[in-house]
Amino acid sequence: MSAVPLSAYLVVGALLFAIGLYAIVAQRTAVMVLMGIEVVLNAVGLNMVAFWRFLRPDDYSAQIFVIAIVTIGAIEMAVGLALMMLIYRSQRTVKVDDFEELRG
Amino acid sequence: MEIAPALQIVLFAVFAAISVLGALGMATTMSMFRSGVFLMASFFGVAALFLLLLADLLSLLQVMMYLGGMLVMILFMVLFSSDPGGSMMAGMMTMTRVEKAFSRGLSRPSPMATPHGAGGGMDMAAGHDMSMTTPARKWARHFGWAVAVVLSGALVLRPVARATERALPDPRSPERIGDLLMGKYMIAFEGAGLLILLGIFGAVLLARPSERPDPEDRGHLRAAVDAPPPPPEEG
Repeated sequence: MSAVPLSAYLVVGALLFAIGLYAIVAQRTAVMVLMGIEVVLNAVGLNMVAFWRFLRPDDYSAQIFVIAIVTIGAIEMAVGLALMMLIYRSQRTVKVDDFEELRG
Repeated sequence: MEIAPALQIVLFAVFAAISVLGALGMATTMSMFRSGVFLMASFFGVAALFLLLLADLLSLLQVMMYLGGMLVMILFMVLFSSDPGGSMMAGMMTMTRVEKAFSRGLSRPSPMATPHGAGGGMDMAAGHDMSMTTPARKWARHFGWAVAVVLSGALVLRPVARATERALPDPRSPERIGDLLMGKYMIAFEGAGLLILLGIFGAVLLARPSERPDPEDRGHLRAAVDAPPPPPEEG
């Protein structure tokens, strides 16, 4: 038996989600925004594993889903950083406030 | 292996605190490098929570993929940015209490740094727009608080129905995950591989040396790379 109830894990996930959301909205450089996205993905993974453990511990599909989430998060971070480097070369800035123009 | 309930609660509290405080430090500190390290702590905390939830393969994958892969990438990009240590930023901005707590030891008092008003987080110093956060920070803080309070309140006041509890630590869980990956979820597995390949192609294509010139401050680096090697010493 787990002494810690499911709600406790979900509350931790909720707090992580809120903090990640704040980081995404309020941070100014693209790298920090990507870090916030990683925190949000972490929170989602934690929720998934908590639900897996308490509701369907026999079916491991939830863990595979979390693996997929982590993989896709890694890919989008790599592509996002490459984009950021490209934008820096043409705009000379990394502040997301200045990424205003959809210009080649 | 069954852990005593009191120990479970203590471990959960410790690792939950590490996760949440790490994420909070990442979001509020003035130094980008410290943000990376706080994020590392948060990842460790979540990996430990995965262990408590008996998802051992996932916790190790979390450590390997997030910490060994993505965090290294993040730290590289942070070191390529300006002011990764944050001492310039911390010396210039007026910070909230939380930000001050996580930014201790960063700023050196200097006669130049005069603290500017933090009207929405925009600071102008010598025509340079220096700030860690966007002008949206004011309502972003309230938004973050609102989301946290609403979600936590919903979970506490309407707790999830008593869930079935029949899991025992399964020493063969990696085998089962492997079976599922190779059997039922083969398409997802191959699709993820294809996605990684496309991501690699895309990242390399986007970041290749282009017709756009390097920024001026990198010019001396380019010159050092292109300069002919010094002639070997005689004798």
